[in-house]
Amino acid sequence: MTLLQVEQLTKSFVGKNVVDKVSFALEPLTATALIGPNGAGKTTTMSMIVGLLQQTSGTVTMQGVLDIRHSIGFLPQYPQFYPWLSALEYVEMVGKLSGVPARGLREKSVKMLEYVGLGDVLHKKTATFSGGMKQRLGIAQAIIHDPKLLLLDEPVSALDPIGRQEVMNLLKEIQQQTTILYSTHILHDAEKMTDQVLFMKNGQLVEQGSLVSIQQKYADPKYLIQFVQEQDAANFAMRYEGQLDGLYVYLPAQQPMQQVLSSLVAEQKEIVKVERVTASLDEIFMKVAYQ
Amino acid sequence: MTQFSVLLKKEFLESWRSFKFLWIPLVFILLGVTEPLTNYYMEDILAAVGNMPEGFQMLFPELTAADILLSTTGQYQLIGLLVLISAFIGSISRERHNGTATLLYVRPISATTVFASKWIIASLVSIISAVLGYVASMYYTAILFGSVAVSDFVKMLLTYCVWLLLVMAITIAMSAAFQTGAAAAIAIVLLPVGLLIDSAIGSFWPWTPWKLANHGLSFVTETVVMKDFGMALLFTAIAIISFIGIGILATKRNWRLTKV
Repeated sequence: MTLLQVEQLTKSFVGKNVVDKVSFALEPLTATALIGPNGAGKTTTMSMIVGLLQQTSGTVTMQGVLDIRHSIGFLPQYPQFYPWLSALEYVEMVGKLSGVPARGLREKSVKMLEYVGLGDVLHKKTATFSGGMKQRLGIAQAIIHDPKLLLLDEPVSALDPIGRQEVMNLLKEIQQQTTILYSTHILHDAEKMTDQVLFMKNGQLVEQGSLVSIQQKYADPKYLIQFVQEQDAANFAMRYEGQLDGLYVYLPAQQPMQQVLSSLVAEQKEIVKVERVTASLDEIFMKVAYQ
Repeated sequence: MTQFSVLLKKEFLESWRSFKFLWIPLVFILLGVTEPLTNYYMEDILAAVGNMPEGFQMLFPELTAADILLSTTGQYQLIGLLVLISAFIGSISRERHNGTATLLYVRPISATTVFASKWIIASLVSIISAVLGYVASMYYTAILFGSVAVSDFVKMLLTYCVWLLLVMAITIAMSAAFQTGAAAAIAIVLLPVGLLIDSAIGSFWPWTPWKLANHGLSFVTETVVMKDFGMALLFTAIAIISFIGIGILATKRNWRLTKV
């Protein structure tokens, strides 16, 4: 059963389609990464889904329902809080706004803040919070009302490596109970928590599917042979029509590896390694973005 | 209804913790007590600081309590309004601009509750400030210049409170419709500048909302023309409702302008 259905979502500003006929579906309890270069329309797409921006055409429905504001949590890239409210007051306030019953809300808010690691600063004003703490508070405010769908815009881009790791681990835990859609341009993170990848470029969805299927499609497997001497590499590349790159030679992976190895043995050249390589997500990203 | 009471509490807390409930009433009280004090001691002040020629005689008009209330109102209508406008002109536009509104606007709340909560709290601050200011002013006026009938004073105060409801409806509506800078400019043109223009050329139409405060004062001088007062009150009420409507529409329309 599909949780969120996005159909032909389009946004035009002065005649230009910033988001152009984007359609996709989210299955329950999956994590989907929205990937694309800056200006691809990721944030605009998210803004339309959460209802901040009115789409020019197209629909967003959650199990048939159009007003989905009760069922979603949203974390923008740079969440801004009221500096005169404490973390606990803030989470309680937005919880009430999203319809969490007042009874037990205090306990729930405290638990939520402890869960994201802000248990020590419940009563501190958010004005004093660091970037990482704000991101955690942002996550707490986004899930206080147990949304079915959590949308995060670049949740880790502004964090240092440690904070990034911690937030990703947190999101992975949350994914056990909540469907997640997040945008990112840090593919390393996407690789860690993704069931589905959506590639956006110039407002259009240019590629979508499971991470595995996309990796297979764009894998472009090759043999990489690293020689000790450049001259050997050059000679080998010439004879076997390989692609030369300094000490490295790339051969197409159509032939079996034994054949490569036996030709290497026949040549009697010193090598460092032979390896079967596939395109990393970064390379796939570049390929999709510039094809 | 829950949403409304939550937002109302939020607006109250914001004004409370940014000391708006403290410093704005203080400004009005200071302005209010300055008028009776300076007018009463003007002669002494001049004698103490001025190098008046020997035998120089000054004629001071005999001021009544109503005259002092009139000049206090003059202060409030210029400096007081500027203080109120500058304190609340960013209510909606600034939240949109700095992105704090984003996390609220994605939740199931309506533009009406957002606008209403801000207007009500801003009006509350303004009314408390004006009432405390006028009472402080009246206290010294009563000691130094004589008193006025309490019922007339209350009528004048209530009239001024209605005018403040309009002031805040315009201020918050402009904040909803424009960015802070433009909103401030328009609110200043509509309110303090509008008062000046209306008093300069508007003697032909006694019913404009800008004249409501003067009608209120004429309760104290007992020169009130009830028909004109009623008309001004009616038009003020219409203006309040109109600006609330404009403000709610603008809040809704500019929902998307919040920084993501």
